[in-house]
Amino acid sequence: MKIYTQTGDQGKTSLFSGERVVKSDARIHAYGDIDELNSVVGALIAVLLPDTEAAEVQLKEIQSDLFQVGAWLAATSGSEAQARLNSITIRYSQRIESWIDGMDAQLPELKSFILPGGHPAAAWAHIARTVCRRAERAVILLAEQEAAAGRSFEGFAPIVAFINRLSDYFFVLARWLNQHAGVGDVHWQG
Amino acid sequence: MMPRSTPASDIRPRFVVAVTAVRWLSEGTFEIRLERPDGFDFIPGQKISFVDGALRRDYTLLGPVDARELALCVRHVPDGLFSPRLSRARIGDRFQITAPFGYFTLKTSGRPAVFVATGTGIAPFVAFANAGARGFDLLHGVRTPAELYYRDLLFTAARRYIPCISAAAGDDEIGPEGFAGRVDRFLSAKYPDGAYDFFLCGRIQMIRDVTRVIDARFSGSRVFIEAYD
Repeated sequence: MKIYTQTGDQGKTSLFSGERVVKSDARIHAYGDIDELNSVVGALIAVLLPDTEAAEVQLKEIQSDLFQVGAWLAATSGSEAQARLNSITIRYSQRIESWIDGMDAQLPELKSFILPGGHPAAAWAHIARTVCRRAERAVILLAEQEAAAGRSFEGFAPIVAFINRLSDYFFVLARWLNQHAGVGDVHWQG
Repeated sequence: MMPRSTPASDIRPRFVVAVTAVRWLSEGTFEIRLERPDGFDFIPGQKISFVDGALRRDYTLLGPVDARELALCVRHVPDGLFSPRLSRARIGDRFQITAPFGYFTLKTSGRPAVFVATGTGIAPFVAFANAGARGFDLLHGVRTPAELYYRDLLFTAARRYIPCISAAAGDDEIGPEGFAGRVDRFLSAKYPDGAYDFFLCGRIQMIRDVTRVIDARFSGSRVFIEAYD
């Protein structure tokens, strides 16, 4: 099958729930940022150190979860199409919290600001963190628009929690990867 | 029925099933029936893949969902991956298939439903009709009237059944409800203004052309797409 259908050449696209919307729509920004984040996670996986299989397993599960989040965001709230997707629940963020705690227990206490960088894998984790923050802002903007239109915020809450926790995860992961690589944190000298 | 590609990492359960019947619908298209494995449930509009090593081809299940056999509509492509083998299949020949999958299912709203198919892209709409869908408008784009598969079923189920025949020779071939030309031209020139739920299944060119008409003429409509080449 050809990858291109040319149905978006006039600046519109179809949501998973069928609506035709302009590509500058807040919903497109939201799931586009989630897609970008997923791509960054893929790049991070590609440069992981050989002895960090546990992180690789976690990151691949995160990629799968992000795919589900993207699909959920690509359907309008309350639509039949959205109802057919797996629900995003609070368990998504709870699992991330357990992973953060697991890595954090292996790290020295943080006493100053750190700069993004270090080992390439850690640098990618910092990029993932910042893209994740942008995705969070886009999802919240969409949720606010939905609420203003009288639609429920309920489905967004576990997604916002998941993405918020995910950016913390990438921060801790970056430190953990640097420690694993023998690089250590890059401290801000301000 | 529609050849399509599937994701490379296919982890769906698989079944080996035997052919129970092959029936030609026209010179180039046939319906094949397969044993139905236990617990093989599907939603009308979902499809399966035939699998042979790394090769796979997708075809939509015609239904009904409670039928004892699985039915598929296949266009015979002489140099195709599966259709030549399927067209020559004998009763009892066995093929590996996946569990059903896909999201091109009927989603209802307050808007009128308009189904648009070309060729064997009619399959999901047959599945919808077999599941009891009624009151929809259906445009079936084909080259000749001989390719209007499942016409009786669809004519009965649809509010309007509109054959769009691109190689029609005369009015007697087109019929009173038919249109001499492609589906996008019919929608552009003949279909009343409004907001609809469009379901499009067929070749990419049709999907592209019809979507352009929808964007231009039927704003506020929803569009659901199943494309193949």
